[in-house]
Amino acid sequence: MRGFLLTAILAVTVSAVAASGQTKPPAKSAVPRASDGKPDLTGVWQGGSTTRGSWEEANRGTGVGGSGKDPAATVALSSNDRPAGREPAPYQPWAAQKVLEAYNRRGIDDPTGHCLPAGIPRTIMLGLFPQQIVQTPKQIVMLYEYMNVFRVIPLNDKHPDDLIPSYMGHSVGRWEGDTLVVDTIGFNGKTWLAGTGTFHTDALHTVERFTRIDKDQINYEITMEDTNVFTKPWKLTSTLMLREGTRLQEMVCVENNIDIDRYEKLLKDGVKFTR
Amino acid sequence: MATRLSAICCVFLAIVSGMPLWAHHSFGAEYDVNKPITLTGIITKVEWTNPHSHFYLDVADGKGKVVNWKFEGHNPAILQRMGWKKDTMLKLGDKITVTGWQARDGGNWAHSREITLASGQKLFFGPPAGTGDGGAAPAVEVK
Repeated sequence: MRGFLLTAILAVTVSAVAASGQTKPPAKSAVPRASDGKPDLTGVWQGGSTTRGSWEEANRGTGVGGSGKDPAATVALSSNDRPAGREPAPYQPWAAQKVLEAYNRRGIDDPTGHCLPAGIPRTIMLGLFPQQIVQTPKQIVMLYEYMNVFRVIPLNDKHPDDLIPSYMGHSVGRWEGDTLVVDTIGFNGKTWLAGTGTFHTDALHTVERFTRIDKDQINYEITMEDTNVFTKPWKLTSTLMLREGTRLQEMVCVENNIDIDRYEKLLKDGVKFTR
Repeated sequence: MATRLSAICCVFLAIVSGMPLWAHHSFGAEYDVNKPITLTGIITKVEWTNPHSHFYLDVADGKGKVVNWKFEGHNPAILQRMGWKKDTMLKLGDKITVTGWQARDGGNWAHSREITLASGQKLFFGPPAGTGDGGAAPAVEVK
């Protein structure tokens, strides 16, 4: 009997050791590494989500943008709606007034309504459209299905002196430990940051931090500085989830963009739509 | 009132883990959440286009007339990721039922949410009501 017990204990112990060798390694070691030892951010990602799995698995049953239970449910937040984050947006009084006016006009002044690029961080925090990161030792390339825009981010470089203002800005990157830090200036001041009417000027300076915490997730953080409109820097956080098997597609927004004409007709006809 | 507006601004936070974000344009400006509709009709035209897809339905109005309705929804890439097959679903002549919300001007134009195909299969074609028009509260605090 004693021999049986010892045998049984040994068997359990051996099987437990064997099983432990098959379990997933700690989260930190699960971060894929590039040949230079840096965390490899390469992949196709979905913003505004914390759900693991493929695109289909992560969005199953909901029809992207809803609960799937009640077609009338307003459960999905828009890029024009209140964004993720944990810090108030520190607009100056006059700027707050302008943001409120845009809200009361229900966002019909949204630059993306004209098929213009959504800028930063809105493009990154969107959930409906995938984004792709291609990492090399000397530069990071970020591709966005939404509006088919891109960012080429050289590492350990400086911003040029003569910048042409742009929607996505001019970015340079560097590694701080396992975090990719992206510094961006050169914005044209024609985008909304995160939420209806959240405008800025060409003085905007952003610092983004991308930290891949395991195979499936990148923690994203952005700090926005614009002394023309803010009283202090504004910080937001979000997440990017890996969507293996998803491929970015073409999106030519101007193909059939009829919404602006619709807005103008509403205004002309005096249809009440403001808050 | 503008003068009562606090300058202290807040984007209220909360939220969103796990919730995808809609983009492009305002539901609330064009469509009326207080005008939900469910219509059954025959597909006469489909536009798989950006930034939004559209389809047209011939719908009997119950008074002996047939009215052509236009519905708006997601763009082709989003629809494909949601399970739509453009070559086998939403074909001309198909009879479908669509749930959505009518345009504010009262025309035969609507935002589509859920479609029931002739086979009985149900799929979403557009996002929920209210997306894209700023949410339940402004990004700035009003006092």
